[in-house]
Amino acid sequence: MSAKKEKTVRGAEGTPILAVKNLKKYFHTARGNLHAVDDISFDIAKGKTLGMVGESGCGKSTTGRLLVRLHEATAGSIIYDGQEVTKADPAALKLLRTRMQMIFQDPYSSINPRHTVANIIGEPLKIHGKVKSTSEYEDRVKELMDTVGLAQRLYDAYPHELDGGRRQRIGIARALSLDPEFIVCDEPVSALDVSIQAQILNLLMDLQDKLGLTYLFITHDLSVVKHISDDIVIMYMGQIVERGPTEPLFEKPIHPYGRALLSAIPIPKLNSRKERIILKSEVSSPIDPKPVCRFAPRCIHARAECLASDPALREVAPGRFVACHFAEEFV
Amino acid sequence: MEKILEIKDLEVRYYSDRKTVRAVNGLDLDLSPGKVLGLVGETGAGKTTLALSILNMIRAPQGKIEAGSISFAGKDVLSMSKHELRDMRGKDVAMIFQDPMTALNPVLSVGEQIAETVLKHEGLTKDQAWKRAEEMLLTVGIPAERSKDYPHQFSGGMKQRVVIALALACNPKLLLADEPTTALDVTIQAQVLDLMRTLIRDNGTSVLFITHSLGLVAENCDEVATMYAGEIVEYGTIDQVFGKALHPYTQGLFGSLPDLSEATKRLKPIPGLMPDPTALPAGCFFEPRCPYAMEVCKAAHPKDIDVGGHLVKCHLFDKEGGAGRKA
Repeated sequence: MSAKKEKTVRGAEGTPILAVKNLKKYFHTARGNLHAVDDISFDIAKGKTLGMVGESGCGKSTTGRLLVRLHEATAGSIIYDGQEVTKADPAALKLLRTRMQMIFQDPYSSINPRHTVANIIGEPLKIHGKVKSTSEYEDRVKELMDTVGLAQRLYDAYPHELDGGRRQRIGIARALSLDPEFIVCDEPVSALDVSIQAQILNLLMDLQDKLGLTYLFITHDLSVVKHISDDIVIMYMGQIVERGPTEPLFEKPIHPYGRALLSAIPIPKLNSRKERIILKSEVSSPIDPKPVCRFAPRCIHARAECLASDPALREVAPGRFVACHFAEEFV
Repeated sequence: MEKILEIKDLEVRYYSDRKTVRAVNGLDLDLSPGKVLGLVGETGAGKTTLALSILNMIRAPQGKIEAGSISFAGKDVLSMSKHELRDMRGKDVAMIFQDPMTALNPVLSVGEQIAETVLKHEGLTKDQAWKRAEEMLLTVGIPAERSKDYPHQFSGGMKQRVVIALALACNPKLLLADEPTTALDVTIQAQVLDLMRTLIRDNGTSVLFITHSLGLVAENCDEVATMYAGEIVEYGTIDQVFGKALHPYTQGLFGSLPDLSEATKRLKPIPGLMPDPTALPAGCFFEPRCPYAMEVCKAAHPKDIDVGGHLVKCHLFDKEGGAGRKA
């Protein structure tokens, strides 16, 4: 509570390793500017996991890509450990990329089918000159394979010989190869079956404990995000509509969209059927949106004010940030 | 009660040059009228193959139904003529496919696609068929003036509602819903399922609801069957299976899921992978991954054991009825 004034996303301890301020990404289309990410700010504390949830097209993946600069930001800043990512020159960026890595959603298309497992995992080591000899290279690749639970007999195997779970382990090993501190996990388990998904989630959590990693965990699966995250941000049409610590946020979401979203999670238990908030219609167009509440057309509580101005994200309860004109009513 | 669907000893194989994939292996399944049966299992368990078999749509020459029988409302599906099959498909038995993006014809307007189906099956005039199409679209919340729009003009959620309108246009007796909401976002999924439930209840349609999500089964089904490596390993009412899952695989599925109501630190994944369907184990198919595996599990394939109307294919329940083991 003493940290009220700070814009920190409530890491219990540790300073923010990553600070995002007023980040925007617009894509130019024939019909106008698509506001994929529209003025978002958040921090991630070292060693913590920030879960980013929202439905397809809300700007989660674009945000993840902006952080490691796979997209160039339209405006705003990304400070990683004191360094401005959006303005880093090529040499500085190359160095930054050894510290920030990404795990992609689809283990089928994110790895090169013509390379062997060892090649895929070890390529970053060569590019960044991290190993001096062939034997050192081989040792390091084998060590990485051990870390993520890939059998060494797969050293010379090709991706098509492996199932989705093992392929995702390759993606994780590759992301770990340069000893990064921060990893953007973009839907890392969405393409996997539940029994395999659980294996990968356990692995990611073990790695975090062992290596002190910081994660941005992007997913649309709300039970997964609750399981793995310390803090949550909920995105809607390029904006953050709610953010706060995981437990209280899941206990009682405040933003009407957050409440509808969490109420829509199917629970695999008897008689768990709760009051479900069924939203009207669908997401409106993200192309040159009007300066109004973007959720208003679907919101059961919408009033005249909602169509008069775009609500800012503000702290409505300790640690709880909500972008809604009437948030106090829902606290 | 007369069953709407009865499947006995179904065997489906896919053949390639060197290998034979045993997709469905001696599967038995019944469905009573008006019931919603959830079929859960992971990728490659044979769920979609089973649904396609019910429509006798396993594609030759690589795929073949080798043995068993499928009876729909007392008629043998596997011995039907081409003509009879065409009358049954889309009329008495309808299917909702997983991906609404590919299930619709991109060069016909959505109204035409629905009108085409009712024209074929209901013997209506063109005008009547078009009117029926507009009514169906309205039922799923799509205004009639959009009936002349093409699939690409709709969002994913709306496309799936068109697919549902199409499937329900001829009041089918049985609906095969193959992961109907997997491609949709959760808030849209909630909308679509809400709609489906209402329509199914109003028409008394029986449903085979194929999904990998136990959460959706708990909320939408009356009965549940767990499928693993081409067979049903557990079958019971929702109360039975969600109250106390008996088969180690079903238990494993539950253990793999993060629990929203409790803070579980570690998930309990099922070790290993589903067996290669071209080389299934001689004994129990789940034995290599099973924490309770015994000698007999390697040697003999388990039979269905009836535990108070709750069926489980597991040696642990032979004779002793599962003594010494907790759910």
